[in-house]
Amino acid sequence: MSTRLAKSDTTTLLSAETRTAIDRWLAKYPPDHKQSAVMGALSIVQAANGGWLTTELMDAVADYLAMPPIAVYEVATFYSMYELQPVGRHKICVCTNVSCMLCGSEDIVAHLETKIGVKLGETTADNKFTLKEVECLGACGGAPMMQIGREYHENLTPTKVDEILAKLE
Amino acid sequence: MATIEIDGKPYQAQPGQMLIEVADANGINIPRFCYHKKLSIAANCRMCLVEVEKAPKPMPACATPVMDGMKVWTRSAKALTAQQAVMEFLLINHPLDCPICDQGGECELQDVAVGYGKDVSRYHEGKRVVIDKNLGPLIATEMTRCIHCTRCVRFSQEITGIQEMGAPGRGEHTYIGTYIEKNIASELSGNMIDLCPVGALTSKPFRFAARAWEIQQHDTIAPHDSLGSNLHLHIYRNQIMRVAPKENEAINEVWISDRDRFSYQGLTAEDRLTVPLIKIGETWQATSWEKALAFVKEGLKKVISAHGNQAVGALASPTATVEELYLLQKLMRGIGSHNIDHRLRQVDFSDQNAAPLFPYLGQAIADLEHCGTALIIGSHLRKEQPLLNHRLRKASLRGAKIILINPIDYEFNLPIATKIIAPPAAWLNHLAGIAKALLENRSSLIPHSVEALLATVSPDAQQRALAQTLRTGNKRTVLLGNLATAHPQFSVVRALAAIIAKLSGATLGYLGEANNTAGAWLAGAIPHRGAAGNPIAAAGLDAYTMLTQGMKSYILLGLEPELDSCSGTAALKHLQQADFVVSLTAYRTATIENYADVMLPISLFAETSGTYINVVGNWQSFKGAIQPRGDIRPAWKILRVLGNLFNLDGFEYTASDQICDELRQQVGNKIIGNKTAWQIPTHLELNSTSGLQRITEMPIYSVDALVRRAIALQHTLDATQVTGIHINTQVATQLGLTANNPVIVKQNGAVINLPVVIDERVPDEAVLIYAGQVAQIELGAWHDQIELTATC
Amino acid sequence: MNAITNYIKSLFLWELMKGLSLTGRYLFKSKITVQYPEEKTPLSNRFRGLHALRRYPNGEERCIACKLCEAVCPALAITIESAPRENDGTRRTSRYEIDLLKCIFCGFCEESCPVDSIVESRTFEYHGEQRGDLLMTKEKLLAQGDKVEQELAADRAYDARYR
Repeated sequence: MSTRLAKSDTTTLLSAETRTAIDRWLAKYPPDHKQSAVMGALSIVQAANGGWLTTELMDAVADYLAMPPIAVYEVATFYSMYELQPVGRHKICVCTNVSCMLCGSEDIVAHLETKIGVKLGETTADNKFTLKEVECLGACGGAPMMQIGREYHENLTPTKVDEILAKLE
Repeated sequence: MATIEIDGKPYQAQPGQMLIEVADANGINIPRFCYHKKLSIAANCRMCLVEVEKAPKPMPACATPVMDGMKVWTRSAKALTAQQAVMEFLLINHPLDCPICDQGGECELQDVAVGYGKDVSRYHEGKRVVIDKNLGPLIATEMTRCIHCTRCVRFSQEITGIQEMGAPGRGEHTYIGTYIEKNIASELSGNMIDLCPVGALTSKPFRFAARAWEIQQHDTIAPHDSLGSNLHLHIYRNQIMRVAPKENEAINEVWISDRDRFSYQGLTAEDRLTVPLIKIGETWQATSWEKALAFVKEGLKKVISAHGNQAVGALASPTATVEELYLLQKLMRGIGSHNIDHRLRQVDFSDQNAAPLFPYLGQAIADLEHCGTALIIGSHLRKEQPLLNHRLRKASLRGAKIILINPIDYEFNLPIATKIIAPPAAWLNHLAGIAKALLENRSSLIPHSVEALLATVSPDAQQRALAQTLRTGNKRTVLLGNLATAHPQFSVVRALAAIIAKLSGATLGYLGEANNTAGAWLAGAIPHRGAAGNPIAAAGLDAYTMLTQGMKSYILLGLEPELDSCSGTAALKHLQQADFVVSLTAYRTATIENYADVMLPISLFAETSGTYINVVGNWQSFKGAIQPRGDIRPAWKILRVLGNLFNLDGFEYTASDQICDELRQQVGNKIIGNKTAWQIPTHLELNSTSGLQRITEMPIYSVDALVRRAIALQHTLDATQVTGIHINTQVATQLGLTANNPVIVKQNGAVINLPVVIDERVPDEAVLIYAGQVAQIELGAWHDQIELTATC
Repeated sequence: MNAITNYIKSLFLWELMKGLSLTGRYLFKSKITVQYPEEKTPLSNRFRGLHALRRYPNGEERCIACKLCEAVCPALAITIESAPRENDGTRRTSRYEIDLLKCIFCGFCEESCPVDSIVESRTFEYHGEQRGDLLMTKEKLLAQGDKVEQELAADRAYDARYR
């Protein structure tokens, strides 16, 4: 944080609804531990911004929660559910961690890459899919698995993947 | 006390101490990277693993508290294997670029790798690469070398108070940095360079200039901060390559401010004067020292014979050494004039006779961190005295209540309990209110004059609350900053502050201005007292009078009065009108050429031997570390020869310590204290002013000629945002002004154009103009009414 | 007995004959004298002659101003000043001088160099005609390197196994 001449104004970046939603998170923590709400706040702001976070939005969250901006950047870069680049309409998160890898997640990734035509970490030209490699999502029982939007798809096979993708707009 | 056994020998330890602290205290070496005694314990480098009896695995010595009867082995096979394994992991991603690394030769990783590393790496995969972010003009980065010890992150979190560094990313993709490209804004940022155990953060001005083994280390005392930080100078081929802190727990702990660290660049500025110059007619001629000094003598004699000895005045910079200031006053008083002063930014001298021996902090520097309540009057403390601010920050983190009365809503890096933001004119109201509120609750004897003075004052709720806060808490202190000293009614501010301190049982203190302000007072560079504060018959003229009313002749020591004083315009005018101006200066500028008749090149900090006295009265002497260029001479030698030329007694010194000893004897055991150092003003003028008030601040990197020429510091945020005229949005809308557009600024007849800067820290009814900037000189005095008109 | 033998040997100039027979043997043997400067003796690939600063094949100078050669030089013959290079900010020498009058040709500089930049070439026939001629500046050293680069590279490649 540079020596600021002006007190920053978060209201222009965070809409009233966003702030109300963050306030609901804030209510769960003691008033002197506002930073506890940072993950909730980031998720809300990301959802409101079409699925990704800009530096300005993270700064706004930092101001709103009275945190140093770098602390918010640390959280946003650590967790794979926060996006710092624009993403497609459907974010396909494939787990490649140990259990999934043993059950063949490499084949799933290869299949996805050929099917939608982009590599891991890329977005299709029509902005429909973003393919992303993530660490364990806690569904080892159904390995290999992937997450699309808020849904888990387990026990994947290439055919099953095709079916799932076909259903998506 | 607990008794523990390290490597078979018993040691005493305090319960709660960590193993590494006990080992360090007893000279047992345990390798470490992330542990630093002034930072919190992270235990993330794992280099300090040691074997502990009954512990199944090696334990990190930095995070293992001692227990009575504990047995520890730091060099056992188990400990060594663990340390070697950690070393191998740390070296996996560390590049093998020691030959081009500025840390090479003084690198903790290099040292430890020699002890614990393997000759050949077993790692054949590609190494991690981190793209560097520019951290500004002071710190060079090479983050690929980073070993994630997080010392810099913890420093920025815990010491600077405003976290700028962090560790974004996860797993192997973690890196240390700022995430966004930005200049590090902290005034203590240079300490990260010292903290970094590898070459990831290094000094940018020093970049690639010399290797550690070529450098010679000399000790000296810092040239800016009022606490007189202890420094190591790193010298290579008669040039200061960099400056590092010398540990002194009582003064600067292990830190120094960036101002003290990087100002050495000013020593090699392009406009450095290297030969004595005299003005013959309208042209400047280089000449020998004999001729130049004879010229000075002739010039002064001429003025004295024509206008009397009271026509000569001397102005000195408070950054000059005690010896120089003492000889200057001895010379002036030998000539028969008491017109000598160093207080260039003070306006109100009416109570100077009641002033203390020197502006004293009122307590030991280390005591600041134990204070319970502190009232700070008029100080941008973070930028004025960064390390005193750090002490207070420690206090406030321990629960101390910090109360501020400031003209600008400065950003502080410590929790502030209450703050009053008002233009200086309104401070008197607030201070009187607080004093009255304290008075109302006080039963013991009070001088009647105080009661009479405050009779008409009625405190409001905020002032009462403040008074209540001040009354509670164990160690209380009232501190006067530079903005208070420069107040147009400083005597009243001081009196009210003293009354408040007395009524609340607090210690009154001054935060100090320059590194040798105390020395200047003690050396007698003040018009109303001789050396060592000895009384004199009649006071001479103070700096403000000398500069605003004009003298026939001036002697300037290390000054650029147009930038250094609070009356730049008047100073310039009267210096130009004077018959004879002698400037003992390190720099040759067009402005000095314009008004001076002689320029004598003087050596600066690190080039001369001398003594500085800090804000708590510590005398710290130092030796010259480098030879100055050309014909430059130490000012004390110049003044000594001038004394001889004037046939004055007692100018037979052969070394600077003789001068210091002479003064020391005179000072003897004089009591340092601020207790009785105030007088009750006869009346209180609490008239409210109307219109826009000018508030003037001397920015951190403009305080003296040396730091104004430190190139790297001049590119920091603190130095670049001091231009223009700062007003808040409300004032701007009222007057129809927009940011970055020029506005016509009128002050007492002077008219200049300045760009508008929207600055929400400025209160309504006020504008902020920074001092020490060439563009703003013409405006004149620091406190005045300002008129703004939009240009169309 | 010994005295008699010595007497006979000295009487018949035995030692003289022995010496002359050696002279006589060499008189008829093939000659090993090299007619320098028309002829030259072979040089080792580790020969330590005139210094040179090498470049990478792309023309970039190798020296990175680590100053190890300066530190290791027992005769204090090397003087280096370093600074970030103007155009790209990389670490380079702004001055690199070897005083050949001080140099004892020990080869430590070459040994210490982490980038094979300072080397001693096979050139040993050089002279100076005036003061300063034997102060090898960076330009002279680089020029020498450019001149004999092929030979330097070949020598170092030949020796690579033992380094």
